[in-house]
Amino acid sequence: MYSRYLLLVFLLFNVTSCSDKKESFYNYEGTFNSEKGGTLIDAMSGEPSNLISMIAGDSASSAISGNIFNKLIKYDKNLELAPELADKWTISGDQKTITFYLKRNLQWADGHSLTSDDVLFTWKLVTDDKTRTPYGSDYKLVDKAEALDPYTFRVNYKKAYAPALDSWASLQILPKHILKDEDINHTFFSRKPTGSSYYKLTQWINGEKLSLEASPSSVMGEPNINQLTSRFIPDTSSQFLELIADNIDLMNINPIQFARVIPSRPDLKNKLALYKELGNSYTYLGFNLKHSPFNDIKVRQAINYALDKQEIIDGVLLGLGEPVASPYKPGTRWSDQNLHPYPYNKNLALKLLHEAGFNDSNHDGILEKDGKPFTFEILTNQNKQREMTAVLIQRRLKDVGIDVKIRVIEWASFVNQFIKTGDFDAVILGWSLSLDPDQYNIWHSSQQKPGQFNFIGYINKEVDQLLEEGRTELNPDKREKIYHAFSKILLKESPVIYLYAGYGLTAMNKRIKGIESPAPPAGIAYNSYEWFIPSTLRRNEMAP
Amino acid sequence: MKWLHKMLNYLIKRLLWMIPMLIGISLISFFIMHLAPGDITASESAFNPKASEESRQKLRALYNLDKPLMTQYSLWLKRIVKLDFGNSFASHQRPVLWETKDAKGNVSKGMIQDALPITLMINLIGLLIIFALSIFLGVVSAVNQNRWPDRLITIIVFVGFAVPGFWLALLLMYWTGVTHSWLPISGLHSAGFEKMSHIAQYADLFKHLILPVSISSLGGLASISLYVRNGMLDVLQQDFITTARAKGLPENKVIYGHALRNTLLPLITIIGLSIPGLIGGSVIGESIFAISGMGKLFFDAVLMRDFPVVMGILTIGSVLTLFGNLIADIGYAWADPRIRRGISN
Repeated sequence: MYSRYLLLVFLLFNVTSCSDKKESFYNYEGTFNSEKGGTLIDAMSGEPSNLISMIAGDSASSAISGNIFNKLIKYDKNLELAPELADKWTISGDQKTITFYLKRNLQWADGHSLTSDDVLFTWKLVTDDKTRTPYGSDYKLVDKAEALDPYTFRVNYKKAYAPALDSWASLQILPKHILKDEDINHTFFSRKPTGSSYYKLTQWINGEKLSLEASPSSVMGEPNINQLTSRFIPDTSSQFLELIADNIDLMNINPIQFARVIPSRPDLKNKLALYKELGNSYTYLGFNLKHSPFNDIKVRQAINYALDKQEIIDGVLLGLGEPVASPYKPGTRWSDQNLHPYPYNKNLALKLLHEAGFNDSNHDGILEKDGKPFTFEILTNQNKQREMTAVLIQRRLKDVGIDVKIRVIEWASFVNQFIKTGDFDAVILGWSLSLDPDQYNIWHSSQQKPGQFNFIGYINKEVDQLLEEGRTELNPDKREKIYHAFSKILLKESPVIYLYAGYGLTAMNKRIKGIESPAPPAGIAYNSYEWFIPSTLRRNEMAP
Repeated sequence: MKWLHKMLNYLIKRLLWMIPMLIGISLISFFIMHLAPGDITASESAFNPKASEESRQKLRALYNLDKPLMTQYSLWLKRIVKLDFGNSFASHQRPVLWETKDAKGNVSKGMIQDALPITLMINLIGLLIIFALSIFLGVVSAVNQNRWPDRLITIIVFVGFAVPGFWLALLLMYWTGVTHSWLPISGLHSAGFEKMSHIAQYADLFKHLILPVSISSLGGLASISLYVRNGMLDVLQQDFITTARAKGLPENKVIYGHALRNTLLPLITIIGLSIPGLIGGSVIGESIFAISGMGKLFFDAVLMRDFPVVMGILTIGSVLTLFGNLIADIGYAWADPRIRRGISN
């Protein structure tokens, strides 16, 4: 929140006080062999609320519960589906039935065996109307779910549903023997969970910290790092001070810290390693397609040519982002390598605007059509990066004679008074996407009711058809072709202008070893169970 | 004995008056809170394409958010008269006020119960420091009116009032925590707190509290020290001080024996009025020092539209405000016979 001022603090202290008295006494360089043990301390801005992931909606909760619970299948480092609890899975010829074969001898942390009965129980919970979950809809499409034997779980869909596999890669399996008599909405289990994965919860002090310890009966094998402690520190500047004082080992940092603060200080460079990875989200400028002149494809394309995306990335993210040409993460199979973002071309933008009927007839620097000047308002929520982006857009569009006003609104008002009512010209927003390519909810013409996600009002028959095909096709190669075709239409029609996909930035104390860099598509955390802390680099920890 | 009887009467009247006042306050807060657009479902799952509008409607129904406002209010009122503050809307569903136990004996701690002690502790220590220091500074200022100690003190307390707390906090955290490892940077306990001896635990807590308490006290010095200074100046000009000086009392006795006591009278009101402030924390201070107190609790609840928590804190706050006023009045009557006579007449 106050990171802007933190830079000021640094400047002040670099001038007035000499360097640190406690120089690092660890030697971080050299080769180390992986070993078990040690404690990793990280900082979280928010406190988890509920470790039953189907009920929690916050990212802090899922970050913790992901270390405790398992899913049937998972995404591997290249974001392809891979076994987790299930050894393998088969899809029937008509693509309506998926059968999962569980590994043998699976165990919960309390010693009970984990079987297909638990999977069935979890499915029943997530589809139960009494369960307080926002994520039930994917699972309600299952017509029949059955546990054929302790190691086989089968689901039948009324019609083929391709995102089904993704949904099974995100549903964390819960223990039936503990929860069968509990009210899932109010249960001690949400704060005292028993899972099956690498870690188990050992301590949770409200408002302060939470600790996990390696679980000896983990079905995934034992992780290298013995204890994970998350401290709840809401303010990122305070987190950063804790990081440089060596009290925490890793945190997410902002572009200024990544590109300016840490590289300029030898003592920090010596002990902190920096990592960047592409997240699953992108930021866009979206138009209200029901409003003139945004219903004109030429106007949208003109604006797309008039915006210099690299300039935005350099200015807002200090270069720590990538331009995108499709709504998919670059580097995955769904993102088409042959598509390229609109290049910056002011003349072409002007030409397209003229073709659309806009001319500066009264020579005031603003284009007009039918006597009305081209002026519109960009709405965005309170987010520094989006606000800065809006200013850069305003400047570039002024160059081509479009007058832009910017309005920044608090999130809940933004959603309720503008998005739901359709009362906006253009918005700067971001989409955080799941790893399945299905984007029916966002682009299909049927998804325009208040509260649904096609709030820009995009209608295209061809896209509708491709999206329908894509969600009923389970073969990845065929799906890839469908979504490439869909991306191509979207890019040409520019209902939204992709601005950037920013990197997630992490600073980590160099005592943590075994991190893969550059990050694979799944990000650095995919092999966190293989990270290790050499004993010579550990903190002076009190005996656990 | 007659005045005691009248005093009791007065007290009962004041207490009975609180009931309609509280209902009025809660009604207004309730409606103002609902004027803000959005509800818990907007912040939790809006813009998550995996969460459908139907499931959000389902949640709204679960929380009675689909009912008319008046119905929602009467449901809330019905619970609150039984001192049931309800459960949070957030996905942890923790009780708002106090812990509850389920059938198996698992305790779920209340949110206010968790946040209140630390906020109370910081505010009480802070209040103590503010009053002690302010009285001292105010007296020194008044006695040295318009000479350098007065000027210096005024400048210092005003700078303290004007400096943005979070900025000063970051500077101090960097200086005391990073460049010199004198004090911890954030949080309330060091790692391994559970294994320390009792004395070490207190020492550890004390070290963690130094910065937050100093920062939270700094802003309060200005107003109270000026109160004391001006009050003292007024008193010093009165006839009884001249009399005291004329009969040859030493200056120390005049100042601390006669003038100060009269100066402190108005402070009783201020103490009474500070009571509701004791349960309020600074959002910024708590965020920076990673202390999960009442300020952050209230702020997050408002942002999330977690209505039971917001209403719970507002209710407790208004009860304390009303009681604080009453205590201020009673304290004043106790200290000043003139007021006492006013009430009994």
